[in-house]
Amino acid sequence: MLEKSDLRIGMARLTDGIVFAIAKEMGAFERQGLNVSLSRHDSWAAIRDQLALGDLDAAHMLSPMVAGSAAGLGPFPHIFATAFAINLNGNAITVSNSLYEQMCEAAPETMSRRPLSAKALKRVVEARAAAGGAPLSFATVYPFSMHAYELRYWMGAAGIDPDRDLSLSIIPPGQMVDSLAAGVIDGYCVGEPWNNTAVSAGLGRTLITSSEIWSNSPEKVLGVRKDWAERYPNTHQALLRALLEAAAWVDKPENRIAAAQIAAKPQYVGAPFDEIVGSLTGENRQTAGDARVDMPDFNVFYRYAANFPWRSHAKWIMAQMIRWGQAPADLDIDAAAKEAFRPDLFRIAAEEMDAPCPKIDEKIEGAHVHSWALEEATRPIAFGPDRFLDGRRFDPADIEGYLLGFDTPERRTNGAAKVVPIVKSATA
Amino acid sequence: MASQPTLKSSGSKSITPSNKAQTESSEDAVTGGGVEFDPSPLMVLLIDSDPDRIKIVEEGLAKNAVVKHAASVHGRALIDLIGELQPDVLIIDCESPDRDTIEGLRTVAQTHPKPIVMFVEDGDGSLARQAVRAGVSAYIVDGLTPARVQPVIDVAIERFQLVNELRTELKKSKEDLAARKVIERAKGLLMEKRELSEQAAFEAMRSMAMKQGKPLKEVAENIIQISSLLGD
Repeated sequence: MLEKSDLRIGMARLTDGIVFAIAKEMGAFERQGLNVSLSRHDSWAAIRDQLALGDLDAAHMLSPMVAGSAAGLGPFPHIFATAFAINLNGNAITVSNSLYEQMCEAAPETMSRRPLSAKALKRVVEARAAAGGAPLSFATVYPFSMHAYELRYWMGAAGIDPDRDLSLSIIPPGQMVDSLAAGVIDGYCVGEPWNNTAVSAGLGRTLITSSEIWSNSPEKVLGVRKDWAERYPNTHQALLRALLEAAAWVDKPENRIAAAQIAAKPQYVGAPFDEIVGSLTGENRQTAGDARVDMPDFNVFYRYAANFPWRSHAKWIMAQMIRWGQAPADLDIDAAAKEAFRPDLFRIAAEEMDAPCPKIDEKIEGAHVHSWALEEATRPIAFGPDRFLDGRRFDPADIEGYLLGFDTPERRTNGAAKVVPIVKSATA
Repeated sequence: MASQPTLKSSGSKSITPSNKAQTESSEDAVTGGGVEFDPSPLMVLLIDSDPDRIKIVEEGLAKNAVVKHAASVHGRALIDLIGELQPDVLIIDCESPDRDTIEGLRTVAQTHPKPIVMFVEDGDGSLARQAVRAGVSAYIVDGLTPARVQPVIDVAIERFQLVNELRTELKKSKEDLAARKVIERAKGLLMEKRELSEQAAFEAMRSMAMKQGKPLKEVAENIIQISSLLGD
């Protein structure tokens, strides 16, 4: 029945890898006849290479890594696909105490409003430039990551061009806090527990979470090789079923503390329970000592059909790749999204597990400010909001129109630009 | 991953004295091997904390290269160090979290691209071949001995330069093509709106480019942008 039962799966040192740990510890893999060995990695590039080269069967991956591969970017073009989204939300932007104070001084009126705008940051950036100071330095975890697009989206909404106004670099999640403490970076966008850790240690302030930038946005996925999925279809389905079972368990609020205890183990996240539990229970610290902010949807693992690989998510990611000059403007997004995200394969597993499943492959993102119900599903599914920080909508049927709404002339005019930019100032 | 130290011949076969094409004379000296005096030895940045590999690399490069260690330098500090030292090659542990930082240098900042060498155990060598073919810009090899370090590094540098040249050429021809498209389009707009001949439209753009001290492509882009702003 199963083409292959011994599997090697790689996971990153992040709280949202918990689904793999739970599937193993609670016997979900075993129940599907799978004998899984989990390896933990500290580098996304290492995970990517090992998956691409067949050293791993499947991996905890950044959704834009899979989308990027299908868009022909990076060293392994057209290699990866996903039929399973591991979680929604889960990232946040944290800055040093010093930058936080500068922001408060620069624009105090904007600092008490949620979601926090980057307007104050823009003023700090301008003041530094006017004084001839070095640009602020921000980090994300990988060039093709939701972290990068979330940070850019937040900044872009306040008129900051991250490529021009800031110094951006890549720092692995586990080194973010040290880098902030050492003063080599002023801020970052990362997953948990690395925001809570900085705040708990009194090293920084979390300004905004990814769910405030784009509510219930995609995050990690189960990455596999396309040829692997073709060669081992039954094994792939067994893996999807095991992860669905684990995800449903982790998602229940009453299981989150037990999940945090497992995640804290040295072979998984290997960080103190106290730093992990906050993001899993949805009680995040924004500032050291302050009351925790209640965010029940900080990490979504199952509810809202979280595991469904929406093609509209893949398309939004690819649109960001075009917006920021990573992908050519004439990228065939329809074809790439079909290649990268496989809702068709997810549906088979969902049916077997009697999990409610959308009947459509894409939806307009940003259309819901409040909770809503998806009727085009095997049975109606409750969904959380999918609002963007700036109220924009992303219609996957009109990406060209969506991209026209962003003012990125200098990048747009590089290469064979199909989308004519809206020019606000005639000369750059 | 168990594997016996059997090094594939691919590690040494491309080490030929044909490194003439390389710009730096130091590399000739290095590939010659055993040269006593070398005014600018190869600069190698080693990002690896495995004591065995460190020892092998240092022994293998003792004569011909300066090996700097950076296993305890991360993030921005590592980027700065690379910028400062300008190493000829990076040797990095394939599981090192610093790999992402270095990849970020290429994709985000697109500065200081350097050849990267990673040593991993790989029984049949298929990983190594695939990785190189996939352009990971890494030379992965097993059965590391001091005598093998230098040849592997030379191959990596040579390969890297070759790929880089190809990439630059490809990029340039793509840009040329894109520029030509933009210029053609702007010329078309001028011909249509100002009722100019093809020659006159082109001359108008060229004289504007000269007056403004801007590339022709930029002038063409401005024409297209302004035209779309004014409406058709």
